[in-house]
This record gives sequence, structure tokens and C-alpha cells, in this order.
Amino acid sequence: MTASTLRIAADVGGTFTDVAMIRGDKSIATRKVSSTPDDYSRGVVRGIVELLEVEGLSAEEVGEVLHASTVATNTILEGKGARTALLTTAGFRDILEMRRVRVPRLYDPLYRKPPALVPRRWRFEVEERMDHRGNVLTALDETTVHRALDAVAAEGIEAIAVCLLHSYANPAHERRIGEIIRERFPAMFVSLSVDILPEIREYERSSTTAINSYIGPPVRGYLNALAERLHAAGLPRQFFMMHSAGGILDARTVMERPAQIVECGPAAGALGASKVMGRAGEGDAISFDMGGTTAKAALIENGRLVTTDDYEVGGGISLSSRLAKGGGYALKLPVIDISEVGAGGGSIVWIDRAGGLKVGPQSAGSVPGPACYGQGGDRPTVTDANVVLGYLNPQALAGGSVPIDAGLSRAVLARDVAEPLGLDLDAAAFGVHELITNVMTRGVKSVTTYRGRDPREFTMIAFGGNGGVHSVSLARALGVRRVVVPPGSGVFSALGLLYADVETSASAAFLCPLEKLTTDLLAPRFAELVARASHEIGRSTEELQIERRADFRYAGQAFELTLPFEESAALSAGDLTAVRDRFEDEHERLYGYRLARNAVELVTLRVTARLAGAGQVVSDYRPAQGGEARPDRMVHFGPAFGGRVATRVVDRAALAGGPKQGPLIVEEYDGTTVVPPDCRAALDPLGNIVIDLPDPAQETRP
Amino acid sequence: MKRIDPVRLEVLKNAFDAIADEMALMLMRAAYSPIVRDSMDYSTALCDARGQTLAQGVTTPMHLGSFYDAMLHLMEKFADDIHEGDIFIGNDPYAAAGQHLPDIYIIEPLFHSGRLVAWATTIAHHADVGGIVPGSNALGATEIYQEGLRLPFLKLQSKGVPNQTIWDIIALNVRVPDLVTGDLRAQMAACQSCRRSFNDLVARYGIDEVLAYAEELHEYAERLTRAEIAELPDGDYSFTDHIDGLGENPEPIVFQVKVSVRGDRILIDFAGSSKQVQGGVNTPLPFTKASVYTALRSVMQSDIPNCHGFQRAIDVTAPPGTVVNSVHPAPCGARGITGYRVIDAVFGALAGPLPERVTADGMGGSTVPTFGGWHEGKPFVFTETVMGTWGAGAHHDGQVGVPHMGANQANVPIEMIETNYPLRIRRYGTIPDSGGPGRHRGGASFVREYEFLADEGVLSLRSDKAAFPPHGLAGGHCGRGPLSRLTTAEGSRTLPVLLTTPVTVRRGDVFCHLSPSGGGYGDPLDRPVAEIVEDLADGIITPAHAEEVYGVVMAGGAPDPAATERRRAEIRARGAGA
Repeated sequence: MTASTLRIAADVGGTFTDVAMIRGDKSIATRKVSSTPDDYSRGVVRGIVELLEVEGLSAEEVGEVLHASTVATNTILEGKGARTALLTTAGFRDILEMRRVRVPRLYDPLYRKPPALVPRRWRFEVEERMDHRGNVLTALDETTVHRALDAVAAEGIEAIAVCLLHSYANPAHERRIGEIIRERFPAMFVSLSVDILPEIREYERSSTTAINSYIGPPVRGYLNALAERLHAAGLPRQFFMMHSAGGILDARTVMERPAQIVECGPAAGALGASKVMGRAGEGDAISFDMGGTTAKAALIENGRLVTTDDYEVGGGISLSSRLAKGGGYALKLPVIDISEVGAGGGSIVWIDRAGGLKVGPQSAGSVPGPACYGQGGDRPTVTDANVVLGYLNPQALAGGSVPIDAGLSRAVLARDVAEPLGLDLDAAAFGVHELITNVMTRGVKSVTTYRGRDPREFTMIAFGGNGGVHSVSLARALGVRRVVVPPGSGVFSALGLLYADVETSASAAFLCPLEKLTTDLLAPRFAELVARASHEIGRSTEELQIERRADFRYAGQAFELTLPFEESAALSAGDLTAVRDRFEDEHERLYGYRLARNAVELVTLRVTARLAGAGQVVSDYRPAQGGEARPDRMVHFGPAFGGRVATRVVDRAALAGGPKQGPLIVEEYDGTTVVPPDCRAALDPLGNIVIDLPDPAQETRP
Repeated sequence: MKRIDPVRLEVLKNAFDAIADEMALMLMRAAYSPIVRDSMDYSTALCDARGQTLAQGVTTPMHLGSFYDAMLHLMEKFADDIHEGDIFIGNDPYAAAGQHLPDIYIIEPLFHSGRLVAWATTIAHHADVGGIVPGSNALGATEIYQEGLRLPFLKLQSKGVPNQTIWDIIALNVRVPDLVTGDLRAQMAACQSCRRSFNDLVARYGIDEVLAYAEELHEYAERLTRAEIAELPDGDYSFTDHIDGLGENPEPIVFQVKVSVRGDRILIDFAGSSKQVQGGVNTPLPFTKASVYTALRSVMQSDIPNCHGFQRAIDVTAPPGTVVNSVHPAPCGARGITGYRVIDAVFGALAGPLPERVTADGMGGSTVPTFGGWHEGKPFVFTETVMGTWGAGAHHDGQVGVPHMGANQANVPIEMIETNYPLRIRRYGTIPDSGGPGRHRGGASFVREYEFLADEGVLSLRSDKAAFPPHGLAGGHCGRGPLSRLTTAEGSRTLPVLLTTPVTVRRGDVFCHLSPSGGGYGDPLDRPVAEIVEDLADGIITPAHAEEVYGVVMAGGAPDPAATERRRAEIRARGAGA
């Protein structure tokens, strides 16, 4: 991998596949093609080939292909995974079925939980038992393993997950079962929980391991198909996949642990946001990504995305997803901590029986889409409100490719919102705008205030098809003072891929009181994690940047705080005090108190290994040539600004001449940015639109 | 006031909800005891200045509506003596309008420019508050004095100054002071986050605006509720449910409920229910009301805000001195079971007018085993709420591994239990042939088996539904009752469902609990053969059960249609003759 070779990235979405590359002069080139749901790899290769043609480049010049796709997520959501068996400790066949018991919805006697990924008939018990210290209580009875494998053969099983009680404390039995399986079925896709997630809590470990096996064969099939298609097109067969924590890994590595790419789609955008903000010199930022169906928020602190491993796949969209657990399948691998709410351009507006105005979470999707698309959509959506308010072009979007009928927007909003509520049309449309902003506020809060972070201390970076339309309103609601809209914001996930580093992480349970920690205890355990990570990247340890972290808690608590732990390499007594202080500072920041007399303990060790280099390249901005003059519009910015305000409609390049006072609408091929009258917009050297909001202290609130 | 803006109302409603959820999250993450941090047996709420709930965190439904009586009590007691920086604590069912002693309220008043404008309120189930059994839910208590530390509302902190005396008293009177004080601090952390976020909201919208819309939120919830009630057919719907009774010779405890729908109002009356009993299953009226609200809310289809306005269209009455409206000094340590049964009884009554919105009867709430003793020189108390199984619905089978509608609680991971307590879990899973038969099958019974690994300790147990197993609906059969066996060196015996005297357990003793299963819905003979074949493949039922109960005869691994038809006809004939 050298800096001079061309890198090209493809991000597959449900409707479009976005392809992006950075040209030799560091400017961005992009291409949007329709996705090909029967085999997404077809669309990926077509998009790459088309972009190369347009740019006058040949396939041989491409050094590296980067990829993100929702293939893993879709496999789970559509129930199209492999026929998967689970081998577990005798007496515990139903762990996957019993789950953690909690359900995501209160007051619903008719609630149905999702079916287990492995049906009961394919869950097999083997005779064995460990205790929590890893002592063998019952030796592994291999005849029971073979009996289970007889059934596996008879049932046409395609993948096996193995998760035994307390295997994180002693992997011997799982490893032996793995050997037996490979002897009998050399081609079988097998996941051992000690390889996937060697951590305490049996349901979460079983679920994560089962997910890995369930999606393994389809993901492997897809990645192989893509490799072949790339090769056939003269492109490199070897390519890199984004994983859920925002790094990239060789696709062949991903095939072993596909569970780590389940959330790679939204990760690419968030990762791009962290890189763009880093280059702009902003280490602390809120990443805000708003599309047609959902809005997503993530937190960037000190240049790094905040990650979590408390995650569920397929749990649906929830305003308070952190509390309302149980709707999906637990996946305890590091993912970027992205909160998602059902708020997008297609979100449907409705009125409940007590006269309350509601927006979403139902979406009109792309078919039929908002009423203004004229494709049969008969219910008002957020996009219709934006058309009425004048934020969106009343004739066409996406450079003319999506015609807009503003009359339809006005008609459905008047009929379904303004008249029932006794509001005039502008007030109704602005109400919708305010409400969707409010819903998204909760999404941002769940990654900021819920974690003890004050959003007012952050800049917001907005992208996605609707990010620029709603970002200033959202920022205002949160007290954020600056909004950044990067170039290519509508295809930003594909760009994000170009900015990613080769990176992976490894973790292991290690319960130990803080005061008993020594270098002798820690060194071999960290060394093992580093070895695991460097093996996964396929480079020697010396070539990698290694970050050591650990989870700490007050002894007796169940939730840990993850903190840097670089001292672990050579630990002194003073270091332990420093570690304790760091833990207690963070605890106090989150919960408002510290307990000086309580013991602190270490729970989990974590290592992140990164191969820095290629991902450091961030695009330079080159203004598009000769934007045509656009007519002014009368735009409604809310009651605080009186009625409609005459507003200039410009392209991004028009901001190059220095800061401009709003109101402004910036229209581009892939998105629209709204600058209200009391804000100022400018272009930074990277081509980002930087919008400054007025100081709320100086402002009298409408 | 000025005209209400529906947009602003929704905006502030979301903001209130976000505050309550954030409180719940803070509390969970900072908590110590498994029952709070894993089972999530706690609640958080933002209340208005009059103590009316504005929003509640998504945790324990049965706590909804229970805050109000406690708040009235608190405000009456302290009247003009409520100041910024105060934090109140209380738990007593009679002296603080509480629920039972383990549920401790931590409440902080919120001020704006010196004026009381709202309350941050939390309640959490603590691992122990003293009394005659570890875990403080003594079924055998005859008076509340035996149940543990009683706290009227007191100032745990006054104008920012902590009252160390109260902390010292608590620490001395509970078996696990680290867990209890740690969880109390977690509750205070939740109040602090509420204060911070509420102040932000006021800074943004202005205090008058926030308070005006808080008021409107109640009106809005009331309108939604009344619109729902108005759609129900007027009439009286009665149901009788039971708790098996206490100890070795249980006498049934009767829950007699009458649900009267009158236009847009509902009256719920418990006349005819049992007198309060000499055991910890009595409940003061506030908790009965909260349980009724949970049941009614569950059959309503609108997304009604979790606020006080919901309660205004609902009247709940019960004669004083009954098990659902107990008076001092009736013990109420294990009153959770009574709340569950109130919910079940209301569902039972509503099955008449709303057969599609309720299910057949389920497990009836959690089974609660509590192990206590000393291990390696330290006291320990392990309690968990073990759930759960639902009855079948009009269009689907019952499920296993789900909570009761009254308490959305999680199980405790087996690996965590074994790491932290001298216990080993030997089995946890479903039992074949156990779901109540029906066109739709009730959820299965499940087993949870514990081996005791300390030298000596005690076990208490709260369970139910052996004498009155979960009922079926529309011709569905009832589910199974529970079975609790204790196996020691001396042999094996069945424990009563409600153990009034804790039993001694020693190293190697095994306690095995089989949960009740859910009732079926519709005639089991109408269950399609294909579904029986699936159940057989999954081992949910055995071939013998398929033939005996569902009339499906298997031959060589496949159903035999002719034999099945004959068998089903036989069973029908037998039923008609009986």
C-alpha cells in the first residue's frame, strides 16, 4: 500500500451505491449508481468502473478498493442467514431463547420478541462444566459432542456456534470442540465464543457468537463474489472492509469474524466526520447524519469517535435505545456509539386523537416518497414541509433528476395538518420542522448529555441528504454554536471510507482489584491481545500503533468506564494512583460523586492496533466551475423572523469570498444547506461550509 | 394563559421524557445491587411542583402513578420547609405513603429564582433494609415492625448539607450497607442529572412557558385517555383472581374486581376482596392504584404520555383493611405479588369486552428466591426476580423469557451470579409439554436450579399459582402451576409457594424451581397439525403430549392424518360427554 496508488471507495445503501475517490490533486470525484439488491457486488463494480471511465483512468491504476455494505445487517433483518447450530453447556440450551427477559416496549401485552437466530431444534447440549475461575467441574464428554454433530450432519447445518458457560475463564473445552468439528466437517463455518467475545455474561456472548455464525456463510459468499467481480474488471482482488468501530480490515480477515461489520454502514460517515473535523482543527464534535428515514448522531472527543459494545442489531429504531433493550439481538463487539432516531426527509406527519402533532417514525421511504415527488405519496412528510417553507427547491432536487411538485406538498400539509390544528400553512410547516428537530435533539442527547457531555462545548458536522437542511435548527436547540457542512455531504459515507485507517481491537476479561495490579500480571495478557490484533491486521507489532485501555469500576458496580491505560506497559505504585484518579474523575463527571473509600477493580483489558498511513489523506476542495445564477426564494425561518424572508440561493463556491450573513440557501447536487437570517456562513480552506450561530446569551428567545 | 401550540407541547413532552430517561440511565449505571443494575427494579420521574408526574423513565410500569401519593404526603409534612439543596428520603408505606420498605424514595425539589417549580423523584428496590429475613421481603411477618428499617420522609440532605446521622442509621440497620448506600448515591446522581437538564430546559424556554405546557400535558393525556375509554362498551366487567395463600396450609387470598365503564370514565372497585392478612403480601392503596393504571394503559392503543393526566379519568376504590388497601400495621414486604395479581385480575375482567387486546393468563409475576448468609467472613444477600411466561393471544402463541406487564425486569446473568455469590446455577431453560394447550399454545414453564455453596444460610421464596394455575381463554386450557423442590442430604421436599419461614440451606443443597406456564387460547384440537409438527421438531412438546392433548398422531416421524382425525373426534366426544 503506497500513497501514490489510487484508492477508491464504494458504500452500498438500500437505494444508491456511492463511489468516491480522491484525485491526484486531492480533490474529490464521486459517482452515484443504483444499488443492485439481487447481488450488490454488481452495482459496486459498475459504479467503480463508471467513475474510472468518467475520470479517464484505467483499472490498473487502482491500488486499493475500500468497501462498506449492509450485507451483514440485512442478512439478520431479513432472516436470511445460514442454517446455524449452537453447542452449549448441558442445562442451558435455551439461553438464546430466554435472553435477558426485558422487552423494549412497556404496556404491550401483544408484543412479540424476535425469534432466536438458532431455533431450538438446532441448539444442542454437551456434557461439560467450568466454574467462574476456569476450574473444570465436569470434564468434556466427547460422545455428547459427536451426538450433536450427528444431528448437525442430518439437518444440513451450514454454520456452528459454540458457547459454553465460563469459557472466557478457560477456553479448553470450546477449543477441543472446535477441533472435533473441524475433523468431521473441515469446510464448516465455526465460531467459538472465546474467539469472538471472551467476556463474561452468557447471553450476550452466546448471541454475539451465534450472530457471527449465522451471517458467516452469506457474508463470505458476498465478499468472495465481490473479489471475483473486481478481479474480472481488472481491479485488485484484495480489498478492505469497514468494520463497525470505524477501521478497515482486509476482507479475508472479516470473513472469520463477520459480526464486526454489522454496523459498518453508519460507521463510515461518522469516521469521515472525525477525520474532516480533525483536519479542520476541531477535536470535539457531534457527527449528525440525516437521510430519508433516520437521523444518526455520534460523538467525537479529542479527535476520536466514542465507541460502545452495548449494542443490539435489528432492535428497530428507538428514541431511548439505551434503556429500552431487548428488541434485537445482542452484539457485544465495539461499534461506534451511534444513536439513531426515526427522523428523516420521508418521515410521515400525523395527528393523534387528542390533537397532538406527531412526526415519524413511519417513513414514506423512496417509494412512494414524499407527496411532492408525485409518485402517489398521499401523506405529508418532513420533505414536504421543507418544500413549503422554501428550504428545498420547489421545482427539482438532485440537479434536476428528481422533479418536485410543491403544490402537492401544500395540499397535503393543509389538509392533514394546518386545517385540523387551525394553523396557517406556514405555521404548520414550521411546526413540522421544529418537531423533527426536537426528535433528533433526543438522538444527540443520548450520545452527549446521557454520557455527561455538554453539547454546547461541541461543534456539529452535518451530512447525509438532509443534514444541511436541519443542522442549524438542531444546533440551535442544543446550544451548539457552530455547524460544519463538508463537501460531498450527500455521499459522505463513501468519502469516510477513504479516510479510514487499517485498525482492529481485541479484548479479554480480567477481573482484578486495582491495588493488586502489577506489570507481571498485565504484561502477558496485553501481549496476547496485541498478538491477536497484529495477527488480524497481518502486520508485525512494530509496524502498528498500539493503544491500551481497560474497563474499571467500583467493586460491586456492574457498569464499567473504559479509560486509557498506557501505564500498564510498566506499572509503578504512583501509576496506580493516577489510574484511580482518572477513573474517579470520570465517575464524578458522569454521576456527580466519587467514593474515596471504595475499592476500584479492573474488569476488561482492551487493545486497539492501527496501521496508520493511507487514511491520513483528506481531500482538498476545488470549487465547481460556473454555477448558474438561481432565482431568490421567499423562505420561512419561523416566527422569530417574522413572515417570509427574501433569500438568496447560491452554490458552495459563492461563499468563497468571505463570510456572508444569512439568510442563504446553498444548493448543490447532493444536498441543500439552510442558513437562517441570524447566522453567518463562510467557506474554510477545505471547502467546508462553516455556519456560526449567534450567541444565545445575546439572543431573546422567540 | 395564551393559546396552546401543539408543536411546543410535543417538543416539551419529548424534553420531559428525555430527562426522565436520562435519570433512569444514570441510576442504572451508577448502581451497585443486582436488583437495581441488572433487574432494573427502580423508577425515575420528573414531577411538577404539585408532585404530579410529568414523565417517567422506561423502567418499571407498576411505579407509574405511585409517586403521587408519596409526593402529597411529603409536601404536606414539610410544607414551608422545602429548600434548595434539600434531598428527601422515605420508604414507609404508612408514614410516607410508600410501597414496601425495600423501595426507598430519594427526592429532590427543583427551584427557579427561589421558587419550587418541579421535583426530581426516584424510587429503587434495595437489596436489604433489615428485618427478619435477608432481602427484607418476609412473607411471614405479622406486623410491619418486623420488616426492617422504617423511614418517614426525612431530609437526607438539608440546604446542601448531608445528614450523616441518617446515613449512619441506615448503614447499621441493613445487611449489605455498601450496596444500599451505593444505590442511594446512584439515586442522588439521577436527581442531579434531572436538576441539570431541567435547568437547561428552563433557560431555553423560560419558566412560565415550561410550567404552562406541563399543565397542558396533563390535559392532553387526559383527553387521549378519555377518548380511548369512550370507545369501550359501557358496562360492568367482573373477575375473581387469587393468590394461593401463605405458608404450609395456604388459604386463598381473593381479588374481586369490578371494572365499570361509564362513558369516558372507568371505575375500578375491589369490594369483596380478602381482608388484610398476617403476612407480607398486603399492599397500601397507592400501589394498587398504580397496578390498575398499568393494566388499563396496556389495553389502550394511543401513545399516552406517562404523566398524571392519564389517571384523572380513572377511579380506584377498595375497602380499607383489605389486602389491596391495607392499614397500619399490616406487613407488605412482598407486596409485589399483590400488584401483579391486581393487574392479572383487571386483564381477566377486560377479556370480556376486549378479547383481542389481552392474552390468556401468564406466570403471574416474578418468582423471588432470596439466599442469605455469611460466606468467607462477609454477609451476602442474593435476590433475583425470576420471570417469565405469557399466556397465548387470539393470534399468537404465548412466549417464554418475557417479563410481567407490571415490571419490565431483566434476569441476572448466570456467570455474574456465580462470580459474585456462593451459588451455582445448574439448569435454566424451558420444560417440554408445559405450555397451556390451545389453538394458540401458552408459553412454556421454565426451570431455574440453584446449588448453595456456602456453609450455611437461609432461603426465602415468593411464588404463586399452584392452587390457581394460569387460566386459558376461549376454550384454551390452563397452564401449569409452579413446583419448588429443595433437595438436601436428608432428602427432597416441595416448598410452599409463599414460604413464611425461611428454610435453612447448607453446602450442596439444591433448590429447583419450575415456573408456572401460560394459559392457551382457543381449542387445542383446532391447532393446525403443521404447527404441532414444528413444536415437536423443537422439542417444545413430545409425541405423547401431541396425541393426548392435541389429538395429533405421529407415525414414522410424520403425522398420520386418518389417525389424527379419529383421535381428535374421540377427544371431542369425550369432552362433549363430560
